[in-house]
Amino acid sequence: MRPFTYESPSSVLEATNPGHPDSAFIAGGTTIVDLMKLEVMKPPKVVDLNALPMRGIEMSPDGLRIGALEKMSDTAVHPEVAANYPVISEALLKSASAQIRNMASIGGNLLQRTRCGYFRDVNTPCNKREPGSGCPAIGGENRMHAILGTSSSCVATHASDLAVALVALEASVRLQSGASERLLTLDDFYLLPDGTPHQENQLLPGELITEIRVPRLPWATRSTYLKIRDRESYEFSLTSAAVALDVNGDQIRDARVAVGGVGTKPWNLPEVREALTGKPLTLETFVAAAKLAVAGAVPLKHNAFKIDLVQRTIIRALIKLGGLA
Amino acid sequence: MTTKNIGKPQDRVDGKLKVTGRAMYPGDRRMENLAYGYLLTSTVAKGSIRAMDTSGAERTRGVLAVYTPFNPLKLYRGLDSSEGANSGEIQPPLQDARILNYGQIIGLVVAESFEQARDAAALVTTQYDEDNPVASWETGMENAFTPEAVGGESATIKILSEGVSSIDDAIKDSPVVLDATYREPIYHHNPMEPHATTAVWQGDRLTIYDATQGVVAQRLDLAAVLGIDEDMVRVLCPFVGGGFGCKGSMWMFSPLTAAAARALGRSVKTILTREQMFTLVGHRPALIQRLTLGAKPDGTLQAVKHDVRSTVSFSKVFVEAAAHRTSRLLYKSTNIQVSQTLVPWNVGGPTFMRAPGCAPGMFALECAMDELAAKLRIDPIELRIKNNAEVFPGKNVPWSSKNLVECYQLGAQKFGWSKRNPEPGAIRDGDWLVGMGMASALYPAHRSQASVKVRLQADGTAEVSSATQDLGTGTWTVLAIVGADSLELPIEKIRPELGDSALPHAPTSGGSTSVASVTPAIQRAAESAKRKLIQFVLRDKRSPFFGMRAEDVVYRDGKIEGGGKSADFGSVLTAIGRGAVEAVEMAEPGEEEQKYAFHSFGAQFCELRVNRWTGEVRLQRITSVMDIGTVVNLKAARSQIIGGIVFGIGMALLEGSVLEEKTGRYGNANFADYLVATNADVPYVDVYFIDKPDTIFNPLGARGIGEIGITGMPAAIANAVYNATGNRVRDFPILPEKLLPLGLNQPAISMALR
Repeated sequence: MRPFTYESPSSVLEATNPGHPDSAFIAGGTTIVDLMKLEVMKPPKVVDLNALPMRGIEMSPDGLRIGALEKMSDTAVHPEVAANYPVISEALLKSASAQIRNMASIGGNLLQRTRCGYFRDVNTPCNKREPGSGCPAIGGENRMHAILGTSSSCVATHASDLAVALVALEASVRLQSGASERLLTLDDFYLLPDGTPHQENQLLPGELITEIRVPRLPWATRSTYLKIRDRESYEFSLTSAAVALDVNGDQIRDARVAVGGVGTKPWNLPEVREALTGKPLTLETFVAAAKLAVAGAVPLKHNAFKIDLVQRTIIRALIKLGGLA
Repeated sequence: MTTKNIGKPQDRVDGKLKVTGRAMYPGDRRMENLAYGYLLTSTVAKGSIRAMDTSGAERTRGVLAVYTPFNPLKLYRGLDSSEGANSGEIQPPLQDARILNYGQIIGLVVAESFEQARDAAALVTTQYDEDNPVASWETGMENAFTPEAVGGESATIKILSEGVSSIDDAIKDSPVVLDATYREPIYHHNPMEPHATTAVWQGDRLTIYDATQGVVAQRLDLAAVLGIDEDMVRVLCPFVGGGFGCKGSMWMFSPLTAAAARALGRSVKTILTREQMFTLVGHRPALIQRLTLGAKPDGTLQAVKHDVRSTVSFSKVFVEAAAHRTSRLLYKSTNIQVSQTLVPWNVGGPTFMRAPGCAPGMFALECAMDELAAKLRIDPIELRIKNNAEVFPGKNVPWSSKNLVECYQLGAQKFGWSKRNPEPGAIRDGDWLVGMGMASALYPAHRSQASVKVRLQADGTAEVSSATQDLGTGTWTVLAIVGADSLELPIEKIRPELGDSALPHAPTSGGSTSVASVTPAIQRAAESAKRKLIQFVLRDKRSPFFGMRAEDVVYRDGKIEGGGKSADFGSVLTAIGRGAVEAVEMAEPGEEEQKYAFHSFGAQFCELRVNRWTGEVRLQRITSVMDIGTVVNLKAARSQIIGGIVFGIGMALLEGSVLEEKTGRYGNANFADYLVATNADVPYVDVYFIDKPDTIFNPLGARGIGEIGITGMPAAIANAVYNATGNRVRDFPILPEKLLPLGLNQPAISMALR
C-alpha cells in the first residue's frame, strides 16, 4: 500500500470537487482496500463517502430507488426489493460472503473491479491496470474469463452479480459531479474494453453514483437469479442468468434476460427476450432463445465450456420460472 | 489406570483460550525492540538474478536492512530426514543468484513495522536472466527419473505368484481387466494460520516462536542452518493454526529471519502472505496414476498394477508414495506390482500433505475398484470384501488389529447402501441426478520414540509435559485426558504443557503419530511418578505414612492410602516440604514392529446430486466408519475425521493449484481463486468408530487419526458422481465442464446445445 491522504466530506458537492485527478472514493472498502494492499490501485487521495446522505430504499409508482450507500445486505432483505424484484435479492444474497455484504455498498458493488488474476498481480502485465502492457490472460489461465464483449486487449469478466440483475431490469444510475447530475442506463454506463480496458464506465473524474433506479415492472415478481459456480458459497460465477418472465397461460407475454460470468460487462440479452416474447411456454422455446445468447462468443483455451453452460443456465432459470420442471 | 475420561467426548482444554483470542500463536508474539521482516520473492521460475535495485527500499522510513543475494546473510545447508531433521528445502536462500521456482525467496526487508517493510519491499526492482521453466508433464518427462527408494523399499515392488513371470502376464491371463489413468493437480495445504516466525536472541542464545509441527526437529534444523549449537536454540510453538503437513518441515524463511535478527541485534518477526504460502512451504505433488486390475469373473483379483508418476522440485527429492502405501497392501491379489517415477518441475519443494501417498493413491485405487465392480456387475462392497487381505501381502505378517470388513458392513447399514441403484443415472429428483458412492479408507499407524514428564505438585495438580505439538488436533486435551486417567485425577487437575523444545522430546506431529507415540510415555511417566511419590512419603518423618512398608501403601484416585490412613498427594507433599515429585519416561515401539503390520482402516460413503442442466456436484450426506483402535477423545476424534472429509471434498471437487505452463507461476495463489470448501459445501457428516483397542500397537490401543479421514472421500465422491450420471471423471477436481453434456439430457436438447 502506498501512502495516501484521506478526507471525509459531508456533502456530495464537496466530495465530487475533483481536488486530484487520481483520487479514489471509498464506501465499504471491500474492493479498494484489497487492491491498494496489492498495489493494483495507488490513489494519492482517498475520499470517504460514508458521511454522505446517499441512502434510502423506496418504492414509488415509477419503480425502485436505492441510495448508493445502502449496504448489499440491507438491500437484499428489504421487503420491497424482495417482494417486487426477487432477482435483485437473489443476486445480492449469492454475492460474496455475509461479512462482505455487510460492508459493501450498492454503488461500490457496481464499480467493483474484475477478479482476473493478472489484473490483481502487479508482477504480470495487464492492459486494464497498465494500459499497453499486454494481456497474459488471452494465452494464459482463462477458465474464469469472458467469452462475450472481449477484445485483443482484455478478456476480463465483469464480476458483479447485482449488475447482471439490474441490467436485465433496465435499471439506471444517477451520477453527480459538483452541481451537475445525469441519468444513464446501466447498460450504457458500462463500456466494452475494446482498446481501452482501463476505462470501464462513463464516470468522469470526481463523478459519483448517487442512486440506482429500477423501472416499475409488476411481473418482475416472477424473476430469479441463477448462479452456477464451483463452490456453493462465496464464489464468483462461472455463468449466471438474471431472468424475469411474464406468462399468460401457456404463452410468454414478455421477458427480461441478462447473463453474468461470460461478459466483459453485465450482458443484457434483448435478442433472447425477443425470441421468448409471444412464444409458447415450452422447453423448445427456451432452447431456441438461449442459443441466441452466445452469438459472437469468442472462446479461449480454458473457457469454451461457457458457451454451452450459459445457455444451460438460461434454460434452467426459464424452466424454474415457467414452472416446467 | 482408570478409563473415566478416555473415549468420552471432552471439550478442548485450550478451547476457551482459542475462542477468546488469548492463545498466542507464533505470529501473535509482541515484544520490545521487535522489527518486522517481509520476504522478497522471484517473479520468474527459472534463471538467475542479474541485478537488484534496493536503493528505494533502503531509503524508506523505518527500513533497517534489505538482504539479497548481493547483500546476503550467511546460512548453511539444511538437514534432511536421514540427519534427524527435515528441511523442506536443503539449499539456503540468498547464497547465490540462481532461480529454481517462481516465488522463491530472493530477499528479506526488515523494518520497524510490517507496513514499512511491505511498502519498502514493493520498491525493490529485480532483473533476471530468464530461462524457460519446466511446468508441465510434457516438458517434464525428459528429466523423469526413478527414485532410489520409496519409503525404505524399492521403487518397484513385485509380488508375483510362483510361475508368473511378470505382472503383465498376470494381467494378460485375467478374464476381466480394468485399465484406467487418474490425474490430479498440485494441491496446497492452506492452513488458516500462515507460517510465522519470531526470532529473539539473548546473546548467543536463540528463542524462536515458530509455526511448526515439530519443535525438536525444527530446533536441530535451525541450528544447522544458522551454524550454531543445537543447545543454543529453543523453539516454542504452543498453538498451531493448522498444519496438514506444510509445517512438518523447516522452511528457509525461518532461519533467514533468525539470521537477520542476529545481524541487526533486534527481535524480528516474519509472517508469510497467503500468496507466499503457495511457493515457500510445500505442496502435494501433481500425479498421474495408472491402475490396471485383473480379475476373475467372480471378482477375485489376480493382478494389481499401480504405476505412479509424481512431480518433484529441482532442489529436493520428495516421493508421493501413492502406490506403495495403497495398492501394495490393501487387497489380497495373487500378483501385485507398484512402481514410482519422479518428474521434476520448476516449483517450490513438495512435501507431506494430509495422508501423503494414501490420499492420492486411494483416489486411484478405489475409483478403479468401483470401475471394476461396475464392469463385473458386482456390488462394490462385495468386491472389496472378497479381496480383503488377511495378511500383509508379500510379507505374510498379520495386522495387529484389522476390522475393515466390519467397517464396510456397519457403514452400509448406517448409510443405507442397499437403497443404491447400481444403474447409473437411475435416481432423479427433479432436475437433479442422485448418486451414491463408497470407498475404503486406509492409513498406516506410526509410532516412534517419545518422552513425557509427569510432575505431581504440592497444590494437588499434575503437570504432564512433552515437546509434542497441537496442530488444532487436540493434543493438549489428549495430554490432559490420558494424564488424568493415568494419575486417577479429574481433568481439571492436569496441567498439560507442549510445544516447547526444552521439554522431553517427542516426534514431529505428522503421519498421525503423536497420540500413538506420546500416550504410552504418559502412562509410564505417571506410574514412575507414583512410585517415586510413595518412596518419598515412606521415608520422610513428616509424612503420615512414615515407616510403613512399600507394599502396604498404594496410590489410588489421587490419594495415598495405607495403614488405615488416606491423604491426597498434594497435602502429603506439602507436609513433607516438597514442591513436587516428577518423573521423565521414554516409550518406544518394540519387537512387535517385526511381527505385525499396523494400519487404520475405514469405509466412507456419500450421497450427492448433480444438476442435469449445469453439472454442479453438491453433496447431500456422508457416512464414515473408522477402525482406528481406541478413541481417546470422542469429540475431537469426530472433528478430526470430519476435517479429513472436508479436505477430501476439496480435493475431489474444488481445490487444485493452477500452474501456468509458460511461466511456472501459480495462477490462483490466493483464497479467492484457490477454492477450499465452505460450510455450504459440507453436508451432514455421520461418523462411527469401531473402537476396538489395538493393544499390540501400544498399551492404550490408540492409533492416530489425523489423516485417515481424507483417504476414502475423494474416490467415494467420484464413484457417486458416476452412479449419479454415468460419467467417470478421472481428472480432479470434478468441475461442471468435465461432466457436461450429461448423457442423460434429452437428446434433442443436447443436440440443440452443441
